[in-house]
Amino acid sequence: MVGPTASLSTLNRADGSASYKCPATGYDVLGAVNGPIELPARRDALKPEDATVEVFVKPGNTTAGVGERYVEGILRSVLGKVILGRERGFPRRGVVITLAIVGGDAVERGDSYLTILPALLHTSLLALLSAAVPLSMTFSATLLGVTKSGEIMPDLSAADAKTAVSRHVLAFSSKNHLLLNESEGRFDFNTWEQVRERALSICQELTMPGSDGDVAMGDESDGSKVDGFVRETVEDRLRRDYTWKIDS
Amino acid sequence: MSTPLILLPGDEVPSNHLPSTKSNPLKLGSGVRLLSQPSTNSAASSHVLTASQAGILTTDAKRNTVSLQSFSNRRYIPTTNDLIIAQIHHSSIDYFHCIVTPHTAQALLGQLSFEGATKKTRPMLNRGDLVYARVSSVGLGAGAEVEITCVNPATGKAEPGGLGPLTGGMVFDISTGFAARLIRASSSSADHGDAIDGLVVLSELGKKLESSGGFEIAVGRNGKVWVDCSAAGDTAIKSTIAIGRCLQSTDDNNLNTTDQKKLVTKVLREMKLSS
Repeated sequence: MVGPTASLSTLNRADGSASYKCPATGYDVLGAVNGPIELPARRDALKPEDATVEVFVKPGNTTAGVGERYVEGILRSVLGKVILGRERGFPRRGVVITLAIVGGDAVERGDSYLTILPALLHTSLLALLSAAVPLSMTFSATLLGVTKSGEIMPDLSAADAKTAVSRHVLAFSSKNHLLLNESEGRFDFNTWEQVRERALSICQELTMPGSDGDVAMGDESDGSKVDGFVRETVEDRLRRDYTWKIDS
Repeated sequence: MSTPLILLPGDEVPSNHLPSTKSNPLKLGSGVRLLSQPSTNSAASSHVLTASQAGILTTDAKRNTVSLQSFSNRRYIPTTNDLIIAQIHHSSIDYFHCIVTPHTAQALLGQLSFEGATKKTRPMLNRGDLVYARVSSVGLGAGAEVEITCVNPATGKAEPGGLGPLTGGMVFDISTGFAARLIRASSSSADHGDAIDGLVVLSELGKKLESSGGFEIAVGRNGKVWVDCSAAGDTAIKSTIAIGRCLQSTDDNNLNTTDQKKLVTKVLREMKLSS
């Protein structure tokens, strides 16, 4: 199967940006991160010691509506847990994440937003890394569907997702904590447990050491994983940015 | 530095990569944080260093520091003692309010924080004027104000040299990583003639433009570079633009030393500056 493609720091004026293309669903998302910046209104009264995370999702062909508000809420809560909003320069400031859906089928009003959620999560993670916003860990997400016969399908396309009985988006951190669980449709506990195990193995595949032996040295069990494609993308870009240093 | 160690947020910094000097305590730079790990067997908890940004691990054995060098396009976060180029936004009784980076709180520059300034002879700066200043304090706690100064309060001199209002010239935007590189390169270029941090663009420009009077340059850590030429009339404008273009395209295209030399020649020819 073809893996996702991504590139970092594609936009010049944003503090950090990333574009991400998911091969299964065909969604192409462009993300920009600006931070730490001063927010126009005082929205920090509840958590004065922390940074405020704002997420905006822009569909490619229409204005943002209820579906976008809903997915923005999900993203904000996941990213808010990962961003270290108390690091120097960040308290009382805002981190603004703008995600534009630039390719793939349009999500119709009233359609499920779960199909695009993993792409949005990965784009925002890469854009945050590119903006050097302090994070406690990285994560990866996946979308799984369960068919009528109870079969669990990975790599759902948008059409497959419509026919599936239930759809699940799960995100796991690089330390295998369950960060997000959004499910839709009819399913029972056993099915969900199977889905969770399957999702964990998929996300670990995205985060576990590859077979190329490019494992960082040291004997830590958690700290030295090769985070599949996220790590590859970041390393590629850093190597390109620092050729002057590496070559000398 | 053949195999750089690249870390992602949450990765532990391997202890064999840390500088081994025991004489002075280890200092943590940007992107690294200290976490204490509750240990299972004894009361003493152990500490681990983890990365909080994606970046290349860099250590300095002499100063015993460890930090992560991240992507160069990131936003500048004020740090004490950094040299920056700030723009006056407005003036109040005691302070000039200055813009350091867009969409962030304004920094405060005292009306009297200039060399030789008294209540009667203080510089009259208007909206839009530029100053080359040092960050004197970033304050404590959340959302504290950043203070900048153009004078060393201990000596009353503009130290390090060149602090104060920038008149004439032009400002170009560069990435914060490139600004840091330019500062490192220019501060250590006095003793070596070769490329420092892979930068030859400035020394090359200096050689080529020497005949027309040379140029002055100020680099701010907040991703700004100010360029001014002393030559007369059109040549000064042309050389200023040429220098700015060379710096910006070296930054954008991540040029190596040979390409930087080629670029300088090409830009100067296009601007009809090379003799």
